[in-house]
Amino acid sequence: MSRSGLSCPGCGSSNIVDDDLYCQAQLVCVDCGSVVSEGALTNESVYVGASDVSYSRTTAGDKKPCMNLLKGRHHVIAMCRILRVNREIEDLSQTFYSRAYQHKSFIRVTLRKKEFLAGCCVLVSCRMRQWPVTIGTISCLLDADLVEVGAVYKEMVTVLNIEAPSFNIYDVIEAHSQEYKISLHVAEELAENHKDLTKRAVELVELAADTWVVTGRQPVPVIMAAIYLSWQSLKPNRHRLKLSLDKFCQLAKVKKQKPAAIRVTEMKEVLCKLGKEIPWLGETLTPDNVVCQVEDILKHRYALLRRALRAREEALLPESLASCEASPPRAPEVSDPNPAESPVERRKRSAEGTLAPGDEAGQPRVAGELAGELAGGALESPDKGSNWGARALFAPPCVVHAKRRRVEQPELRDVTGDEEISDSEIDSYIRTPREAREFAQMQNMFLE
Amino acid sequence: MEPGNDDALDIIITNVVATFRVRCHLNLRTIALEGTNVIYKPEIGKVLMKLRKPKITASIWSSGKIICTGATSEDDAKLGARRLARVLQKLGFKAGMGTDDHSLSAGRKDRAGTGRIREVRFSAFKVVNVLAVCSMPFGIQLVDFTIKNRPIASYEPELHPAATYRIKHIKATVQVFSTGSITVTGPNVQNVATAVEQIYPLLFECRKPKALCK
Repeated sequence: MSRSGLSCPGCGSSNIVDDDLYCQAQLVCVDCGSVVSEGALTNESVYVGASDVSYSRTTAGDKKPCMNLLKGRHHVIAMCRILRVNREIEDLSQTFYSRAYQHKSFIRVTLRKKEFLAGCCVLVSCRMRQWPVTIGTISCLLDADLVEVGAVYKEMVTVLNIEAPSFNIYDVIEAHSQEYKISLHVAEELAENHKDLTKRAVELVELAADTWVVTGRQPVPVIMAAIYLSWQSLKPNRHRLKLSLDKFCQLAKVKKQKPAAIRVTEMKEVLCKLGKEIPWLGETLTPDNVVCQVEDILKHRYALLRRALRAREEALLPESLASCEASPPRAPEVSDPNPAESPVERRKRSAEGTLAPGDEAGQPRVAGELAGELAGGALESPDKGSNWGARALFAPPCVVHAKRRRVEQPELRDVTGDEEISDSEIDSYIRTPREAREFAQMQNMFLE
Repeated sequence: MEPGNDDALDIIITNVVATFRVRCHLNLRTIALEGTNVIYKPEIGKVLMKLRKPKITASIWSSGKIICTGATSEDDAKLGARRLARVLQKLGFKAGMGTDDHSLSAGRKDRAGTGRIREVRFSAFKVVNVLAVCSMPFGIQLVDFTIKNRPIASYEPELHPAATYRIKHIKATVQVFSTGSITVTGPNVQNVATAVEQIYPLLFECRKPKALCK
């Protein structure tokens, strides 16, 4: 199509036509062939009104889920299969994993942390459906440190706002005792069935929980110690009694936990203290021969506990009578220990470890209540809270061997923070030039 | 025993952490050379200086920011911080008096080499963290406590023997042990005291006698 009004700059003719070269619009002179004008390479009208689109978006196909998310979900399923949990727990852990993965706290973390996250999702789902799994088991599956996995677990629970039930040691005992391979493939005198083993271990752990052995400790070594003692006591023959904890763990194909040996000693001590109260027992009990009496002790453990505590109160009573200034009539027999209702005393600075004499002096007290406090061992004020360990029959080691708190210096009480600071004080913190030179020389000598 | 009877409870402050600035660049090598009771850590880039009275350890960075730890009260921390600033001031002044050793004074001049001594000023003192311990006259059932106060309280016996209770609005964290001891960390002493007051009734609900754990 010719264009009017234009003349070719080369030959001057007005015979100019539109000649599109590919997409480019051009005006060409027919006579001499020179290009009069050319348009833009692209036809702009196509892009009018359209926004800029990035390369990745134009070339993207359908949005695929992240590869690591898929891998993580496979990990979750694998762990669920290893632990042999039911379908509900598997689905729940997958849901948690997908949710947590997308959250900003977990989307850009290392792959290792994402693996931990998978384990934690399994853990929290098991807890919510009352399936007993410990953090130790999960960290074993992940081949990781317990503390690291624990940190990820806490973060995940906060981020996803999950209310997971707490750890309950009794649920875990049964699951844990299944791991011990001592029902088959071992000698006759060493074999034991799991039901009896678990039942006795539960009783031992209950007793341990009552006597401050479980609180604040790692649960798995406590369970291991309970299982070992219950195995020994179910058939206390020569072979079983001879086998140490190490050999027992080797026999049962279980990895020994270091604190378990200490727990065994502590439990035996508790059993000895209770065994002393058995009326029909003639011999003195030592940690070596107490295992044979475990069955009786566990059968009557509550009665024995009461007797032991009462005996302790009676042993302490003369001490407290001697240290009291006032001497109100006291009931020699104690009815029921009532420590929870005892009032909190005003704190006194007293160096003696005995009951505070100043408390009783001049304060009318009900004899039964006082005796009840003695029984509970809760008479002492918070300052002497550390000493209740010395008096109580059962107490955790941190209380029995309490750290001595440094006494606050009285002169520091009057510090305001804005006092004058004398020059001489400050000079004591600065070396003289001579000292500094000598120090520098000595440093150089060492470096040579 | 009434809840809220906390004047019988002794809250012992064990550590106060405070930060302040001296508003000028510090030459750590010089401080390490001329100060007594200092430990220089070149790999981290700081100097640890210990004061005797009050018993405080300070981490001194070359940017002029200093962190003081080990004080037993807020005022103590302030006094210790001021003392520290005075020591640094004195180290700076010594160079100004014209000591024999040129390298010492050179280190103190600024890069322009005008010989102007940098002024050490004590500023931006702030108590950052206070750690206190308190002992309840009763033991505490941690599992019970956690169940009643979920999700503010969390307890994982496999990880830590204490239950952690975070009070968000006063930014305090309380760690509750079953023996009845609690440790409280907070941004200042007042918050710590408030935290103890707040948590006492919750602990009282879940108490157990110390002699017997039943």
